[in-house]
Amino acid sequence: MSRKPAWLLLPGLVFILLGFAIPSVAMLIAPPGVSTGDVFARLGQMLTDPYSLGIIGRTLGLGLITTATCLVLGFPIAYLLARSTSRFAGMWLALAIFPLLLSNVVRTFGWIVLLGSQGAIGQLITGLGLASEAPQLLYTELAVVLGMTQLFLPLAIISCYSAVAQVDPGLDDAARGLGASRTRTLWTVVLPLSAPGLVVATTLVFAGAATAYTTPYLLGGSSQRMLATELYNYSNVTVDWASASATALIMTLLVFLVSGLSSLLSRGKSVQS
Amino acid sequence: MSMIKTNNARPVLGTLAVLGYIIMIVPILFVVSTAFSTGRTVSFPPKGFTLDWFGAALGNNTFMSSLGQSLQLALIATVIALAIGVPATIAMHRGKIPGKSLVQGLFLSPLVVPELVVGLALYQQIMVVLGQSNSIALLIGHTAILLPYAVRVTGASLALADPAIEEAARGLGASPLRAFFTVTLPLLRPGIFSAALLSFVTSFNNVPLSLLLQDRSFRTLPVTMLDYIQQNYDPTIAAMSTLLLAATVVVAIIAERTVGFAKIFGGINK
Repeated sequence: MSRKPAWLLLPGLVFILLGFAIPSVAMLIAPPGVSTGDVFARLGQMLTDPYSLGIIGRTLGLGLITTATCLVLGFPIAYLLARSTSRFAGMWLALAIFPLLLSNVVRTFGWIVLLGSQGAIGQLITGLGLASEAPQLLYTELAVVLGMTQLFLPLAIISCYSAVAQVDPGLDDAARGLGASRTRTLWTVVLPLSAPGLVVATTLVFAGAATAYTTPYLLGGSSQRMLATELYNYSNVTVDWASASATALIMTLLVFLVSGLSSLLSRGKSVQS
Repeated sequence: MSMIKTNNARPVLGTLAVLGYIIMIVPILFVVSTAFSTGRTVSFPPKGFTLDWFGAALGNNTFMSSLGQSLQLALIATVIALAIGVPATIAMHRGKIPGKSLVQGLFLSPLVVPELVVGLALYQQIMVVLGQSNSIALLIGHTAILLPYAVRVTGASLALADPAIEEAARGLGASPLRAFFTVTLPLLRPGIFSAALLSFVTSFNNVPLSLLLQDRSFRTLPVTMLDYIQQNYDPTIAAMSTLLLAATVVVAIIAERTVGFAKIFGGINK
């Protein structure tokens, strides 16, 4: 067999080490003008003071709500498309994937048009006489969750779609033939067998939501600060390197924690069944 | 455990699916309708019809110069990521490499670390500690986050290519280099094309890295637009967004016609 020489790896390896791995580690142990001790002292402080805990809690909370929303909306889309025999199914799948190519800024700006004080939803509510004044929609948790759901739903759809597509439709028919209702077939056959796809979706959506900057910045404003907006402020506005590095560490750990837990959870499930 | 014995799964699923599509698509449609409005602020319903905001967007020097810089950055980062990523992928798939899974993990690692964190690391270490310009830091950062795409997407098409074909070429007397360029590379073409397209779009749209590594002299379009939205409330930004949407539709059509949408994105999640 013709073996490819290992030196083909070298440029990439050097690049990843110098341009990514080493700076990332150095950020934690040697931020400019600050000691490693300062970073970890600040980390300890953040994990105890109410202000930072509030930010961490909001990031975790809104991240989890967004993840749940994306699974609840994304799985049905994936399931219906994967099982569809319509010739338009491909077109609908493309429409679900297309937003991934479009700038996050453009997609998020749409919510300002919809939710702003002069926006369509506020106008609709006052127009219908449901309220005398348009309610505050922008700069709320709802706005942030909607914005992040829009951004990350396509990821959930793709991951669920490839999982559902791998489940033999014959199994659906078998369960139905044995008298299970369509709902029961979905819950006891298709969903458990698509668990790996749900794990991938959870990991991707949570990682995106917990680290998203555009959404909390544009739709959350100063009342919905999250780890991402804090990190930017520490790094580029107040230039507080110890806090910036500590925030980066918390953010990374949060993403690892949720992705680890979700794959553990699904492993437990598949052992049980 | 008693399950509700109904056959009403479809309406529930259908409703959730419709809601999902509304959340994904409707805000984009509102951006487009705002771009043609004669109103001076972003408001609903749009008033009248005008193309003036498109003129304002195209005539805005900040937008146009950052558009140029974004395109430049995306192009160069894509080329570098492929130039170092494709050979590495070939070596990983076809070579004998000690600690192969570790090496593979290292190449994919920029995908695991949040991009803002990569941005912070490069800002601190490359710009502040080493005193390099932000364009260098941006190029390094963008290339680093594109490498996993280059490795994964070309890797997926390399896994499909039968090594025996290349060996047959060697057996028929082709030099290793010739066998590579005339046999393996053409087999990889769809993978490389997908990786290039995905990389270019990813870099062009990137916010986290470009945000942390911004500078007055070099700032990408998404960051410029973020700033503009925060300070202005007129439809210029809607017009700029609509232009980007139109360009994205063109890219999507090219992707669909050449390798197929689902294939390109299927590569990410494997």
